[in-house]
Amino acid sequence: MLALGMILGMAWMLSQALVPWAIGNGINRVIEGDTTSAWQWAGVVGGLGLAQAITGVARHRVAVFNWLYAAFRTIQLVGRHAARTGPAIPKAMPTGEVVATVSADAMHIGHVFDTSARFAGAIASYLVVSVIVLNTSALLGLIVLVGVPLLVLALTPILRPLQRRQRAQREALGKLTSLGADTVVGLRVLRGIGGERVFADRYRHRSETVRTAGVRLATTFAYLDAALVLLPGVFLVVLTWVGSRLVIDGTVAPGDLVALYGFAFFLLIPVRTAGEMTFVVTRAVIAARRVLKVLTVEREVADHAPVIIGGFRPHYPESADDQQEGVVLTDQSSGLAIKHGELTMLVSDRPSETARIADRLGRLVPGNGVALGGVPLHGLPVAEVRRRIVVSDPEPMLFTGTLRNALDPAGQHRDAQLLTALQTVAAGDVLESLREGLDGTVDERARSLSGGQRQRVALARALLRDPEVLVLVEPTSAVDAHTEAAIARNLRAVRAGRTTVVVTASPLVLGQADTVAWIVDGSVVAVGPHEELMATVAAYRRTVTREEDST
Amino acid sequence: MSQLPVATPAEVRAEARLLFRRHRRPLSLALTLHLLAAAAGLASPFILGRIVDALIDGAPVSRLDALAAALAGFLVVQAVLIKFAIKRSLDLGEQVFAELRETFISRVLRLPLSTVERAGTGDLIARTTGDIDALSRTVRFAVPEILVAFITTILTLGAAIIAGPLVAAGAVVGVPLLYAGTRWYLKRARDGYLWERAAYATLDGAVTETVDGARTVEALDLSDIRIRRMDKDLANAYAAERRTLFLRTVWFPTAELSYILPVVATLAWGAWLAAAGHATVGQVTTVVLYMVQIIDPVDRLVSWLDELQVGTSSLARITGIASVPDDREATGEQPAGEDITATGAQYAYRTGQDVLHGVSLELQHGERLAIVGPSGAGKSTLGRLLAGIHPPRSGRIDVGGVRLVDLPLEQLRREVVLVTQEHHVFVGSLRDNLALAAPDTSDAELCRALAAVDALEWVEGLPDGLDTLVGSGGHPIGPAQAQQLALARIVLADPHTLVLDEATSLLDPRAARHLERSLASVLDGRTVVAIAHRLHTAHDATRVAVVEDGRIAEIGSHDELVAAGGAYAALWDSWHGAPAPSR
Repeated sequence: MLALGMILGMAWMLSQALVPWAIGNGINRVIEGDTTSAWQWAGVVGGLGLAQAITGVARHRVAVFNWLYAAFRTIQLVGRHAARTGPAIPKAMPTGEVVATVSADAMHIGHVFDTSARFAGAIASYLVVSVIVLNTSALLGLIVLVGVPLLVLALTPILRPLQRRQRAQREALGKLTSLGADTVVGLRVLRGIGGERVFADRYRHRSETVRTAGVRLATTFAYLDAALVLLPGVFLVVLTWVGSRLVIDGTVAPGDLVALYGFAFFLLIPVRTAGEMTFVVTRAVIAARRVLKVLTVEREVADHAPVIIGGFRPHYPESADDQQEGVVLTDQSSGLAIKHGELTMLVSDRPSETARIADRLGRLVPGNGVALGGVPLHGLPVAEVRRRIVVSDPEPMLFTGTLRNALDPAGQHRDAQLLTALQTVAAGDVLESLREGLDGTVDERARSLSGGQRQRVALARALLRDPEVLVLVEPTSAVDAHTEAAIARNLRAVRAGRTTVVVTASPLVLGQADTVAWIVDGSVVAVGPHEELMATVAAYRRTVTREEDST
Repeated sequence: MSQLPVATPAEVRAEARLLFRRHRRPLSLALTLHLLAAAAGLASPFILGRIVDALIDGAPVSRLDALAAALAGFLVVQAVLIKFAIKRSLDLGEQVFAELRETFISRVLRLPLSTVERAGTGDLIARTTGDIDALSRTVRFAVPEILVAFITTILTLGAAIIAGPLVAAGAVVGVPLLYAGTRWYLKRARDGYLWERAAYATLDGAVTETVDGARTVEALDLSDIRIRRMDKDLANAYAAERRTLFLRTVWFPTAELSYILPVVATLAWGAWLAAAGHATVGQVTTVVLYMVQIIDPVDRLVSWLDELQVGTSSLARITGIASVPDDREATGEQPAGEDITATGAQYAYRTGQDVLHGVSLELQHGERLAIVGPSGAGKSTLGRLLAGIHPPRSGRIDVGGVRLVDLPLEQLRREVVLVTQEHHVFVGSLRDNLALAAPDTSDAELCRALAAVDALEWVEGLPDGLDTLVGSGGHPIGPAQAQQLALARIVLADPHTLVLDEATSLLDPRAARHLERSLASVLDGRTVVAIAHRLHTAHDATRVAVVEDGRIAEIGSHDELVAAGGAYAALWDSWHGAPAPSR
């Protein structure tokens, strides 16, 4: 396809290059008074125009396809890698940098395929024009052969600051745009307690920087446009002046002067393309490097042992449900043991400790001492662990789409099940606030929902997965007390007979637990029903009722 | 979500006229320079025609030298004029673009409080980012290019007619095809390119979400679903690209053919005219070369037209902001006292669906009132009404006998301020973030406010203390810390009444309680309305109001309500360790 693009690029540029030659010949026939031949040459001009139109659009189409193929493949690679690598990527670089590889770098890589086709055409047309002019006159041909590379050299010093200043202007405008967006996102705060003037001044100040960058860029544009008149102009004057003397000598026909005039203008196109080519290639190399930086980030949690080694399939329990009573999940470092089918809750004085245990239970972090039915988690394939144990954060991401999609990303459930799940998490208000119900749109970051609504939708999503072991971290931290109590009751009913772990410190939720584990400094120090711990462990009582003193 | 207005075509035209009028002088200077430059550019085909004539007539070498020198002279003049003309017009474009965006932001910053609270930020962000960017190309390049190309086209055509009126008549053959093709294209181009732009924005959004939500993707094993989603967005972007490519596939060849037709026609027609003695060869040469030369400006003229279309719709969205009506008119009445009272307040977001059914409430000076109740009961709406953001549909909410919405915004802020759980950390230093309204607040005061919200310790631990850069791209600030900053801002703003809507919901429960207690000591003497989902907030309050279904169901002190044995008492029992009722 790239070769096809180059061939079409040459055909297109050549049909342009030959137009002045055909016009020159036509004028020569007019001078000779041979109207019929002049008409024939006019026909040739028309034919070249037609060829130019056809090859031009064909070239454009091939270039766009090549460009899209390269850009979209890059986007796909980055997207796939981001989806499969997990939290390692946002840890390694800011999100904006990853998105830039998709929105800018992929396009820069694609551009090479467009420009290179035109560059091939530029070289071909330069050579053909030189040959035509050489045929007219050796001297003039030499001027073209030497002059074009000289023009490329003369333009480069103007093109280089142009690119630099364009980048500076774009960066300044980008910063101004994010400042504007930042102001708008915080508009409630600004309108609520003031500070509009400070922010208006800040924006105006930044805006002035953008304008200065633009004005600087304008100077470069002005010089460039003047150079684009002057440089071919010099060429034009030299060719016409030398040419007219050659006409007097009789070696060149007057009409050929017209052709030379046309060539002088036309050659500007290959000259500009050559300048563009160096720029585009440099930019693409930088872009490719940035893409590689994303692609080389590795997933933190990975399958250590291949699943099948030489026909030997490692044994792991098909389902923990097989074991009737007893411990299903153990965490070595905290000494935690989760019983099958029970609703276990973890409480700690420091919420970060219990959150860490939850991460280990779900193998969201590498290297842990957790065993599922006696088999260490790190010996199981990650996919297997994800299927059987699901961990849900207090504020997980809800992805843009319909509410149906947000609840059931894989599309495995019927609407009735989704509505039941929403009822379980007392989220009838979410359905009401989105007028189209399950078809209502959850926008970016679910901004149109309140914090409590987001949390309940995410909880419903986790419950719908219905895994063997469900680990919920602070699932109701942003929900009011009335609703929290209702959710806790429903949770117990919905997960009856399934293993559920909840990290929480709310007494309204803890009241529903079969067992509560009280964790101090990362280790389990007391286990028992909520009421028992309330009665016997003073530190536990203080934490869950948020007493600071003994009232 | 949002109902922000978009300007009508008439309003956009009026705005554009106003812009042209305001910059009449620099605009006419730039246009004059372009006019002169274009005129100088017309000299070379004319001179070449004279050279051809001179050669045919066998004129002396000195005449040829003079003509070549004239050619060089005009080129230099043209280059110099172009330099100044381009500089002037681009500078003007920058100036106009700067004015447009600055006016827009200052209008955004004056949007009525009720509009800001109700409308989603999505639309406003799109206008601030996408539309301003789109306008950048239009104002900085499309408008100057179109003006210049138009001038050059007209001048070139005029010159061709003067140089050889008969020969130039051949030029008209290109017009019908160009007109038809461009009309067809422009009718479809705008929607096509907007589709393309929207498709890429969605794709970028999907990638952003995948990266930002990497932990969720990992925990819920959503990678295949995310990949399918991105593939779908790519397919949509591809379809959009195919659409615009199709439009160009039709338009490009018609345009290019219509460019070459006048060249062919003038050459053939000129050949006949020259043979018949109606025109000189030089005239034919000149006109044919003008026809070649006119291709560039005509092409530029029509290529920028679709950009102008996109820019016009962006301008409509940007100037539309100006027509948001103000939501309050200060009556000049001065409140007598600081007591806030609600009398029979009703409120509906949608007509006929009241969220509040006649709430009456008297805030006692210096008290802490906790509002509890199930989600959707109207707690937050009551909070907004008490903060004077929306007027009640019927009934009144007064401070010292004056309706809150009758106060000017500046004064309202000194009376009552609302803090919600939606927090935002602005890009800038921590100091900028705290002292929004009063940039010259002393460090001692800032530290006092930070101490009041338990934030002084971690702020002092930051690499540059108060000067640490925070916000997007700066030092990371967690949601709980952001809530502390929001509360510190309100401590500095120091109104006599504060409405806190779940303002500590993102802190861990124990820290939240500690914060509320230290805040209470700083806010001694201030009236605080705290909408809360944690019962300890209610326990610590002077009075508790239980809101259910748009009404105040119970109100009284914690002890009174517990003794009354109603809904609040039941909730408190299960909270405080009594056996849960359902077990």
